[in-house]
Amino acid sequence: KLVGNLASMSTSERIKAIQKMPGTMKKKREISLSEYFHLLQLGHKTLKIIGANFGTSVLSYFLFLKWLLTFNIFSFIINFSFITVPQFVAAEPNNLSFTGLELFTGAGYFQKTVLYYGFYSNATISKTENGPSYNMQLAYIFTTGIYFVICFFILLFSMAKSFCRNFINPQIHSGIASKLLCIWDFNITNEKAVKLKQKNISMQIKEDLAEENREVLNFSATQRVVRIVIHLVCWVASLGTAVAACAGVYFLSINNLKHKNDLESQAAMLVLPIVASLLNTFIPFFYSWLGHLERFQTPGHQIYLLLLFLFRNIILKISIVGILCYYWLNIVAVSESQDVICSDFYKEFYHLENSIVLCFFFSPPRIIGTIVCMNLGLPEFDIGRNVLDLIYAQTLTWIGILFSPLLPGIQMISFSIVFYVKKVSLMMNCQPPRKLWRTAHMTTSFMLLLFFPSFLGVLSVIGVTIWRLKPSEECGPFRGLSSMYDAVSEWIKILENYTTSKWVVWIYRNLITSELFFFSLSVVVLIITYLYWQIAEGRKTVAKLLQKQLMNGGKEKRLLLEKLWVLQRKPKNPSAPRGQGQQVSLIVQVLLFQLHAWYDFMGFL
Amino acid sequence: MGNKQTIFTPEQLDAYQDCTFFTRKEILRLFYRYRDLAPQLVPPDYTDKPDVTLPYQLIGSMPELKDNPFRQRIAEVFSEHGDGNMTLDDFLDMFSVLSEMAPRDLKAYYAFKIYDFNNDDYICKSDLEKTVNKLTRNELTPEEVRLVCEKVIYEADVDNDGKLSLEDFQHMIIRAPDFLSTFHIRI
Repeated sequence: KLVGNLASMSTSERIKAIQKMPGTMKKKREISLSEYFHLLQLGHKTLKIIGANFGTSVLSYFLFLKWLLTFNIFSFIINFSFITVPQFVAAEPNNLSFTGLELFTGAGYFQKTVLYYGFYSNATISKTENGPSYNMQLAYIFTTGIYFVICFFILLFSMAKSFCRNFINPQIHSGIASKLLCIWDFNITNEKAVKLKQKNISMQIKEDLAEENREVLNFSATQRVVRIVIHLVCWVASLGTAVAACAGVYFLSINNLKHKNDLESQAAMLVLPIVASLLNTFIPFFYSWLGHLERFQTPGHQIYLLLLFLFRNIILKISIVGILCYYWLNIVAVSESQDVICSDFYKEFYHLENSIVLCFFFSPPRIIGTIVCMNLGLPEFDIGRNVLDLIYAQTLTWIGILFSPLLPGIQMISFSIVFYVKKVSLMMNCQPPRKLWRTAHMTTSFMLLLFFPSFLGVLSVIGVTIWRLKPSEECGPFRGLSSMYDAVSEWIKILENYTTSKWVVWIYRNLITSELFFFSLSVVVLIITYLYWQIAEGRKTVAKLLQKQLMNGGKEKRLLLEKLWVLQRKPKNPSAPRGQGQQVSLIVQVLLFQLHAWYDFMGFL
Repeated sequence: MGNKQTIFTPEQLDAYQDCTFFTRKEILRLFYRYRDLAPQLVPPDYTDKPDVTLPYQLIGSMPELKDNPFRQRIAEVFSEHGDGNMTLDDFLDMFSVLSEMAPRDLKAYYAFKIYDFNNDDYICKSDLEKTVNKLTRNELTPEEVRLVCEKVIYEADVDNDGKLSLEDFQHMIIRAPDFLSTFHIRI
């Protein structure tokens, strides 16, 4: 009925009516909010140029980078306002001297600044006597806790939104024909890029047609064995390199633990982060070379190989991060003097940040490396590897945020630098991608990767730190307590003495520390998930049934139309006009019913 | 935001904001783009609603459109009389539908019209052949083009009438989630 009404209006009225539909109202509300964020037009022109020359898939990397940058700005603002600003009020004077080396090692002068956890006081700060006071211990632990909870929900909702928008279709092997009308990228406005895209499409069509005509090749037994052997060798090689990298990092870290406080060994301590970033930068090249080998054996299944490459990279990065976390958590257990805890621990995080920045700056040698491997062709911008680097950097930031609250600020600067460096290197060195990337799937999987291994892993590390680690006794806001969490338990004990805050104590005792509460919460969440899953399955079945009904309806419609046509052509017989009329009206009624079922089906979809 | 501009009356600006997905700033920015195409034809003051139409050659020379193989169809679909000559309203409509804020159904509707070369509300085989040739810059042989078109109709035609209706096209869009991001021109 809606379509009928629309069809009767003129074109411009139709446009206005469609735009007035309720689905668009939400978008318009979002637009008025975005008017206030015209600051974030930063890079709008840049994004336009990148999309124009390289297409939507490369653009998705830069959009992800921009999203991470905004996220870090938000983290920085929260940590800065709740933790650092009060600290400025109660700052101790800094009597160490500043030499240039601190920018690299993070020791010395920086030890007594707000960069590090060690500097924060454990006192309750108040500006005036009997004025409102600010408990640094609680502030520190609550800010970090609430920050992580907010991150959790932001990531969850972004993931869900992205998943909804780009409904992931499990049909990976559908040919190009079914998407031919959706394939043209209107973003591309550069003449060369347009020609390249047209060439890609024609190549894909030819490949698709050829694949249909090709007979199923029967690989001989030896060929199959060779393929399996090569796969196994590649897997062993990649896992072996990952293990070797981890062992290297581990031995270097043990070496670092026996330290002396002079300049030489401080420089020597830089070796660990540099080596870690070098490994992270160059081992993926080795993996893509392995991927080339495998590609020769299995000519099809591009996406499978890409996923394999990404998976191996993820394993490498997760293992290196794991070893580093283990090393940091053990620093405290192994070292004897308390002074060590204060200074060394935090230097590590500064090294970390340096290493992240360094690894992004390794792009020029990287590009030379790819040119050598690719036989004098311009390299393509490797989206997968670059996104994994970003996620790795963000993981390290999250791990370090408990001990260095200004880390998001450093990360902000580093991400902005990376944005411009990558853009320049892209323009100068790369050609548009040859494969047709499934942009929508990739954007959703970036978010997924950010959430699952990265964020949840960080949460577990932070959890262990807060509950188990004994904070140092000489520095930091938690000095003197047996674990960071004790600050909260002591606060609750104090609150018990005030009758007005009994409800807070009740909530704490019965909800946050009781296992029964979390158990029942998990059960409820699981039940809801199961229900939604069943609803989705049911809808799929109904959609299939309706589609079959529609196909049958289409056939019937054609038969009936033919019959109608035949009846109308027959010479009018005065003796049986009513019979004919009845037949015609019956046919028309069935046709209308078919049309109605059609619109129902489309509405359902 | 102050009312310092004298190009449109406040009612006109509000009307444009209602009918497109753009904010005030963007509408003004688009007006300047429109005017830059032909400063002598487009008056700087639209308060008396002048009837100005820019010919297709000027629209098709915009950097966002000049290399797009479908630029002529885009201009024809959004122009009032279907000849590619656009008024300011058509211009704003066009970029509004092609912006990232337009919903999927609206984009699908207009994409369908763009690929429907003979304007009969169905994408028939000849429309498909023209589309494929534009997509591949005439690099395929006629035989290959014919095969591809047959495949497309076979896979996408749900009601089996040998051509694609708007509903078939929308059904195809569901299987291509990239459509929202590719049917988008940033301006």
